[in-house]
Amino acid sequence: MPTPRSLRRTNPITIALAAVLIIGFLFFILSSPSDGSSLPVSRSKDTASNALSPPSLPFRKAKSNERTPPPPVVHYHMNNLTTSSDPVTNRETVLILTPLARFYQEYWDNLLKLSYPHELISLGFILPKNKDGNAATAALQAQVAKTQSGPQKKRFASVTILRQDTESPLQSQTEAERHKIENQKARRAAMAKARNSLLFTTMGPTTSWILWLDSDIIETPATLIQDLAAHDKPIIAPNCFQRYYNEDIKMQDVRPYDFNNWIDSPTAKELGAKMGNDEILLEGYAEIPTYRSLMGMMHDSSADPNTEVQLDGVGGTTLLVKAEVHRDGAMFPPFAFYHLIETEGFAKMASRLGWQSWGLPNYLVYHYNE
Amino acid sequence: MLPLHASSPRGKMQRHVYQNGHAAYPLGGSGTFSIQPHKFQPRSQPALRRRRQLLLRLGLITATFFLVALFVFPSLRTGLIPALSLGLFSASEDFQLETVRYYDLNNVQGTARGWEREERILLCAPLRDAAPHLPMFFGHLRNLTYPHNLIDLAFLVGDSKDNTLSLLSDLLTELQAHEDPKQQFGEISIMEKDFGQKVNQDVESRHGFAAQAGRRKSMAQARNWLLSAALRPTHSWVYWRDVDVETAPFTILEDLMRHNKDVIVPNVWRPLPDWLGGEQPYDLNSWQESETALALAETLDEDAVIVEGYAEYATWRPHLAYLRDPYGDPDMEMEIDGVGGVSILAKAKVFRSGVHFPAFSFEKHAETEGFGKMAKRMKFSVVGLPHYTIWHLYEPSVDDIRHMEEMEQERKAKEAEEKAKKERIEKINAQFDNPSSQWDKDKDNIREMAKQEYVPNEEP
Repeated sequence: MPTPRSLRRTNPITIALAAVLIIGFLFFILSSPSDGSSLPVSRSKDTASNALSPPSLPFRKAKSNERTPPPPVVHYHMNNLTTSSDPVTNRETVLILTPLARFYQEYWDNLLKLSYPHELISLGFILPKNKDGNAATAALQAQVAKTQSGPQKKRFASVTILRQDTESPLQSQTEAERHKIENQKARRAAMAKARNSLLFTTMGPTTSWILWLDSDIIETPATLIQDLAAHDKPIIAPNCFQRYYNEDIKMQDVRPYDFNNWIDSPTAKELGAKMGNDEILLEGYAEIPTYRSLMGMMHDSSADPNTEVQLDGVGGTTLLVKAEVHRDGAMFPPFAFYHLIETEGFAKMASRLGWQSWGLPNYLVYHYNE
Repeated sequence: MLPLHASSPRGKMQRHVYQNGHAAYPLGGSGTFSIQPHKFQPRSQPALRRRRQLLLRLGLITATFFLVALFVFPSLRTGLIPALSLGLFSASEDFQLETVRYYDLNNVQGTARGWEREERILLCAPLRDAAPHLPMFFGHLRNLTYPHNLIDLAFLVGDSKDNTLSLLSDLLTELQAHEDPKQQFGEISIMEKDFGQKVNQDVESRHGFAAQAGRRKSMAQARNWLLSAALRPTHSWVYWRDVDVETAPFTILEDLMRHNKDVIVPNVWRPLPDWLGGEQPYDLNSWQESETALALAETLDEDAVIVEGYAEYATWRPHLAYLRDPYGDPDMEMEIDGVGGVSILAKAKVFRSGVHFPAFSFEKHAETEGFGKMAKRMKFSVVGLPHYTIWHLYEPSVDDIRHMEEMEQERKAKEAEEKAKKERIEKINAQFDNPSSQWDKDKDNIREMAKQEYVPNEEP
């Protein structure tokens, strides 16, 4: 039967040792986290002190009980901003922008798989204010909350979710309806405005690259950003394909999806010359053959995936752009710009500003199949 | 017989008070007060004790493991310490980071009475070698009547050879350190970016015709860099203001906002010295399109830029500046196509939808004029106020300076001439004695003598 030992009978050395140990533990626990340098993930460099800050940066929450000091004067050294072929080593930040109408879980899963350091990635979304948009927002927010409270390594630097009324809400967003030629101009003008809103409000002074990634891109290589940036081109697009069940050969197959990546043709130029100022020339419709060389048709699975081709029009499904291209003013025209609109007009405007567009016909990303 | 009676007899025969068969009172047996068992006998429970020891050991192991884990993964500490210390110690930064933002752009469309709805304004000013004008500009900032906490300031400083950057930084810090929180502004950002512009910023080279197209394109580039880095989803309005505005109403933001137009500019004049007529229209980039100009544009090549105010391109456009009547209604509006950049108030949605300052030839125009053209192309309203005037600083041109030097020389020559004349007279005066005083003396003497002579004559 053990009886409680009297304190007097305990060796004083034991007490002293215990006290030293406790004090040591307390000291260690309370002091070490404050010097952030010892933390494996150091974000203090790219953190804003105030809620009034670029959305591409996380910010420190204001404590409710203290009077907030006035926002500080912040210097951004944009001369030091680089966009190089080795963005990871140079710690270049990437802003991934997605106009979202429907949320696909595969899209989010693919995004999480990207091997580019997540603390260098900011996300921007714009969603319409309608029934579909509300559903998509709810789904998106659930995933964002999950990721941003999950493991440190998977968390993104910041996430911005924008809502905006679309000016011409189309009744149906099904694939067939969306692609009708008469709906295209209004649809793409609204899309261009959404892209511009998203771009110009989320691009911060510290952003180096912009990756346009549509919400229905569900499969890309994990090294997408590194691979595209390695080419060191101002604007670069991979080839967007779609997986489907081929009835002829009775098995899964791939087919080209995005026809907005093209090289201009004399026929298209002639057609443009004859058009009125506000008319646009669309690609991928049998009604107006343009004879442009489409990147979708240049795919050769056996060839080098690093093959580059110079493009005159680009699509927005997946597109890596150096931020300076957008900063110089290249945007997505919501009107007929040289008879082009949205992403195709963007390529034209960028070329007017002296920035060339490039494509990788043998590097594939995959679109959702409805 | 009813089935109820058939089943009841056993129930009625119940003799016990309690259903479980015990009697209400102990009935005989071991006596009234006997308790079984008869003495206290602590049950030996080695199993329970062993279990307790096991629990204790498990707890110790967990605690040790936990402490070791804290050692190995420092990131765990951030989450645990506030819980352990009951929030007495503030959590580390990482734990307090906010990474998700949600904005509804429908709330920032811009309305006529923005100050009541707490609409934020982004004030943009591109700067280059602007140090001499900064103190004046900050005076204007302090005087603005629009709530300062709703104004975010953004500057782009580039290719400056003077102390613009350090002066700007000092003035801004001073501005934010104001003890009255109502005087403090919102977000303040300074973008430092050199574009390597070759054009000088002095008046003559800035306004020469040949340099205009290139200069306007690089100005446009600077403006776009500034805007794209500073525009936030919280902004309802964007105000572009040159630092060299000398006089402007304190209420200019509210005055322009009240018109509720997508893009609006006031008239910009500048004061002149009297010998040049006292005042002069300054900003000729706000104009209405004319048939002549459209026809002219047709003939030019793709990269040509029409610049207004030069004899090389006679456009015959009605200019906002020339339509000013000093006594006219300041609220009068005029539809315009090209805008000048001295003071532009635009709804942020204009910029969000993609309108910018073309750094290429857009419909044969660049920078602010191209901005007006592009806004029109996207069906936004672009308006000028011919009778609402702000005054640009007067910086004498080379011709003016030459003329002023001539005038100064003339004045000096005249002064010298007068001085010489004066000196000559003095010299003459000094060399030749003035005879008049002697004359007066002699005259007095004679008169005295005459008097004396006369008096004796009278006496006899």
